[in-house]
Amino acid sequence: MLLTSIIYGFVNSIILSLIALGFNLTFGISGVANFAYGALYILAGFLCWIFFNTIGLPYVLAILFSVFLTAISGLLLYHLVLLRIRGMVLAEVIATFAIGISVLELFKYFGFIGFEYSLPVFIDKSIDIGNVTIDMQRVLIVISGLILAILLWIFTHHTRLGLRFRGIAQNERTALSLGINSDLVASLSVSLGAALAAIAAIVILPLGTITVESGYDVLINALAVCIVGGLGSTGGVIFASFLIGYAESFTAYYLESHWVMVVPLVAILSILVIKPSGLFGVHKELEERI
Amino acid sequence: MKKGFLIILFCGLFLFIGTAIHAQEPIVIGVPTSLGFLEGKESYKAVQLAVEEINSAGGVKLQGKMRPFKVEALDIRDAAPGVPVPEALLGLEKIILEKRPAAIVVGPFRSEALLAGMDIIAKYRVPMLGTIAMTPLSEKKIKENPEKYRYIFRVSLNVIYWAKLLAGTMEKLRKEFGFNKVYLMNQDVLWARGTANAMKKRYFLKTGWEVLGHDQFPTGFSDFSSSLMKAKAKGAEVLFTCFDMPQSGVLVKQWKSMKVPALIAGFISPMAGQAAWNTFEKKIGGILNAVFEIGNIPCERYEPSKRFYEAYLKKFGQGIQSGHGPAPSYEAVYILKDAIEKANSLDPDSLVSAIEATDRIGVMGRIRFDKGHQVIYGKDPKEAALNCFFQWTEDGKRRVIYPDSIAEGKIFLPSWVKGKK
Repeated sequence: MLLTSIIYGFVNSIILSLIALGFNLTFGISGVANFAYGALYILAGFLCWIFFNTIGLPYVLAILFSVFLTAISGLLLYHLVLLRIRGMVLAEVIATFAIGISVLELFKYFGFIGFEYSLPVFIDKSIDIGNVTIDMQRVLIVISGLILAILLWIFTHHTRLGLRFRGIAQNERTALSLGINSDLVASLSVSLGAALAAIAAIVILPLGTITVESGYDVLINALAVCIVGGLGSTGGVIFASFLIGYAESFTAYYLESHWVMVVPLVAILSILVIKPSGLFGVHKELEERI
Repeated sequence: MKKGFLIILFCGLFLFIGTAIHAQEPIVIGVPTSLGFLEGKESYKAVQLAVEEINSAGGVKLQGKMRPFKVEALDIRDAAPGVPVPEALLGLEKIILEKRPAAIVVGPFRSEALLAGMDIIAKYRVPMLGTIAMTPLSEKKIKENPEKYRYIFRVSLNVIYWAKLLAGTMEKLRKEFGFNKVYLMNQDVLWARGTANAMKKRYFLKTGWEVLGHDQFPTGFSDFSSSLMKAKAKGAEVLFTCFDMPQSGVLVKQWKSMKVPALIAGFISPMAGQAAWNTFEKKIGGILNAVFEIGNIPCERYEPSKRFYEAYLKKFGQGIQSGHGPAPSYEAVYILKDAIEKANSLDPDSLVSAIEATDRIGVMGRIRFDKGHQVIYGKDPKEAALNCFFQWTEDGKRRVIYPDSIAEGKIFLPSWVKGKK
């Protein structure tokens, strides 16, 4: 039982980090809390489903197109909406949340209701680790999560664009004075965040079905992980994913499954009371000290 | 000149006759339910199908005139998480006041909304033929105060008949395979919680089954590995399931990939429709799933259910995917048509009396109402309406296995599940 909870807890933690990485990247760079994030995740899932099942494209192409189009949606979201209200935090939250709800409800309006929307698994096999059986899709989720985290680190530390991202994240005015176009970088960060949401959707959704309602759950999970880890801190996000992921798994194993959904909410509340900037957050640290 | 005059006269006559036919005021049927959920959406479609059939056959005969039905639907969102019951009731009241329906079909989705909405129905005296919400408490209220609540009927299954279906199938599993160790898993919503608790207390514990565990999952939960591993470790032979959330499909995928040596039997809504075979990558062979009303699944041994299913498939291009709602919704429109013609009036009290006297053979079997205004369900379609259990075969067919009167074959066990007999 302990081995099972350790293995599935690990998978659960990686799923949470995959879900939260894009949200965190966008906030860390542009300061925009993209509340349309869950909708972008579902958009990617449905786009992939349409390309694969309705249009009949090969699965790989369907994946590439859906990730690309979701990234473009993020870009449009920034240029059409966020650019005009950037810096007004409440307006950003309301606007992105409204857009997210609109996207999700539009899917319902166009009839995306039911259980037939599902993406195929990449490898249809299971493996045994000790006496625990685990399907290959979950193993691939773990591999994808690890690769994505490494690539993201290389991107932000060893590429020109990544360094610009970090420059804006550290101090936007100074970055501007050095010739970095902050609007361009911010729009790219929203777009890259959307692409990460799409990648998460592509690897996670084959575990079940694509439903409009899961868009809201994704947003709540991403928020929980980012708030606990500290908004803008990638290391914090990964740490918080493991904290919440294992807390959920152990709750399911040793208490009751019923309480699992409460774990992220309790985590948010606890961290807001104890350390509002999150475990590794820097944004409000000064205010907290004061 | 003369020819032109004749053409104009002919056209005028044609227009006059055409207008006269369509001038018959339609009889409005209200469909207030959760249209954003599969059961609500497909029930509404089934109503449209029945209305189209009736209208194309001439309409409803009322006081010597043939009048068409007209459907007015409203999404009251009572099944959506976070929507309070009073908000759903506003929708119910809105459709009654604005569209002035002669009757309501389908009705509230969640039992909580039905119970609270009964007073509104009673206040406006609109007959309602409900087809989704299942609580028997509505029947209790009708029996306690028949004058006030006599306008409310239920064509679909209620929880009591539902429990009988489940108990009957579990008994069959025990007799055929010697199973007597069960692990219960259900979604944490009123109907599923009620079903699982009732089955545990009134069936499993009373008939010698060993209940190894009982886990309840909040709506939206999507990793069932912990419960499956517990069930496997404790030696469960049957996994009794009750879910209507889309994420419950994950349970089946995990059951298959983890090779849990227990048979899944119960209700998992994503498993009910034919599309599940492809959605779940042809990996659901062996699962036993309930269908709340026949007709939602075509039964080879009951022709009317097949006819309805095929008509639905032909009109909408896809078969019924939900196990609950569409067949009784279709049936409800025909019950209403018969009642209007029998009462020869749209007066609510006359309609109620005519509906109470219903006795017809429909797509779910024989339709009659009891004193609580609940359609009587049984095991023989000649005597009562029917629900059923089917099993997914390894080649992607849904084979009815219970009740015996319409069973199409015997239950088989997946390769990793072993029977004791």
